[in-house]
Amino acid sequence: MPLLKAEGLTFSYGRQPLISSLSFELRRGDFMCVLGSNGSGKSTLLKLLTGFIKAKAGAVKLKGAEPGSLAPGRLARLAAFVPSETSTPYDFSVGETVLLGRTGRIGFWRGYSRDDHAAAALAMEETGIARLAARSVNTLSTGERQLVFIAQALAQEASLLLLDEPTSHLDLKYKAEIMALLARLAGRGLAVAAVLHEPALARLGCNKALLLRGAGEYAFGATPEMLSAESLARTYNLSPDSPLLAGPGPLSAVLP
Amino acid sequence: MVRNKPLLLFLVLAAACVFSLAAGPAGLSDINIILDLRLPRTLAALAVGAALGLAGALFQGVLKNPLSDPYILGTSSGATAAAVFCFLAGVERMSPVFFLSVFAGAFGATFLAYWLARVAGRLSDASLVLAGVAVSAFLSALVMLTLSVARERSFSLFYFVLGGLYAVTPGVLLVSALIIISAAAVSMARWRALDAMSMGEEKAYHLGANPGRERLIFFALACAATSAAVALGGTIGFVGLMTPHIVRLVSGPSARRLLPASALGGAALLAAADAAGRAFFSPVEIPAGVVMALAGAPFFMWLLWRRRPDASA
Repeated sequence: MPLLKAEGLTFSYGRQPLISSLSFELRRGDFMCVLGSNGSGKSTLLKLLTGFIKAKAGAVKLKGAEPGSLAPGRLARLAAFVPSETSTPYDFSVGETVLLGRTGRIGFWRGYSRDDHAAAALAMEETGIARLAARSVNTLSTGERQLVFIAQALAQEASLLLLDEPTSHLDLKYKAEIMALLARLAGRGLAVAAVLHEPALARLGCNKALLLRGAGEYAFGATPEMLSAESLARTYNLSPDSPLLAGPGPLSAVLP
Repeated sequence: MVRNKPLLLFLVLAAACVFSLAAGPAGLSDINIILDLRLPRTLAALAVGAALGLAGALFQGVLKNPLSDPYILGTSSGATAAAVFCFLAGVERMSPVFFLSVFAGAFGATFLAYWLARVAGRLSDASLVLAGVAVSAFLSALVMLTLSVARERSFSLFYFVLGGLYAVTPGVLLVSALIIISAAAVSMARWRALDAMSMGEEKAYHLGANPGRERLIFFALACAATSAAVALGGTIGFVGLMTPHIVRLVSGPSARRLLPASALGGAALLAAADAAGRAFFSPVEIPAGVVMALAGAPFFMWLLWRRRPDASA
């Protein structure tokens, strides 16, 4: 059974359909990138997948259940979501922020257990931010902050990890680091879906791609074909011989 | 850096209590004045301050908005308007009807401001303040209209609206204190939910909290505390705004320590403000609400100033 299955998802903010009859599925070990131009509905799609907003038609099945019908705690144990930007005016430390990932695992009437602290410590170890544990999140660089919220999501110990533009505003080093981290997590059996702005990054480990082409059109499939110059040209409304789409060589050579 | 942070808070609280017990024209000469007049008044100041400090921390957390407090959101105005109508309708101050009406006034005003800010301004910090100002301006106008019409009783009510701790009776003090202690206990037990909400609603949802439900719970707790405070001391502003900002320097942002620290800090702040109102203009007494506005309004201006675009984080 696929971990995540979208069937005929349809959604629009006004009259113009943003997402229409979109279907795809993800299994454990999949690392899917979601590509598309601005306003094509990438972020909206992620929120539909977690049930934060409701689809006009169609259904999402997360381990067979509708996310919107699950108790939030149960949902948080199945799917973790990293928004493109999480900010709070208050100076929470990195450790406190990551521990909040345990929210869905325990009722609100007690504090954190030893297991919760262990899971948070592991998540910080995995993302390489253990040394920052006592720092205030608001004093970190954008890249470090992104890693903190990925660690928070990992502390949820969910099997599906959704990320909205985890690499935007980051320098190349962080982009590569985060993509490698996500590929490693998928290799460990998580299903990962990340909205990306640059198709080139998808070559760093994505095995599936979902291309949103506007007005409800989309394509879903395995990466080498999905990331071909023609396919990307259609997605971004570019000419297929645009230098932007010319990689350093055949795309398949880059893939593992 | 102070090692023992809770001790520091308790020392400040103790100092405020001593100040409050000693302040007044008679000084420390008459033990009867201290026990019969100043002690109940100090206890009332502590209860009202704790309630407002707690409510401020709850609103600032659940709305993820450091500019919110029961005064700015219109909660206090809603409670005050309900209390004034109850007085004029002849409702007993000790009756459950009185406390329920005051709570309903607080809750209604808060939700109206929240709903306005959400629908019209996507719940931005500024829209919440604007909506709160609009709601409380209207309710204050209603109160002033009522006071102008009901002339013969308006003098004592006028002082109630200004916010002061004159007419505290042991019964009201006891009931209000029980409400405040219950609201504090429940909110402190649920501190992790408040921390999740202070990451924003969307994040809270994905962390495993139900934002709609948590908002309702924490609004209800903050309104219960505020309405008990208003029943005791009328409209006293800025305690809820200032206290969390000040105590966060000691307690950190997590509600686990912030909530108890805000209650203690609010108690100390209002006890000191009430005592200052008695001490510095003696024999004239300045209502605690006026003292708090004198200190709090500039604090609010400073908070706004600190948020200017070129300010470093």
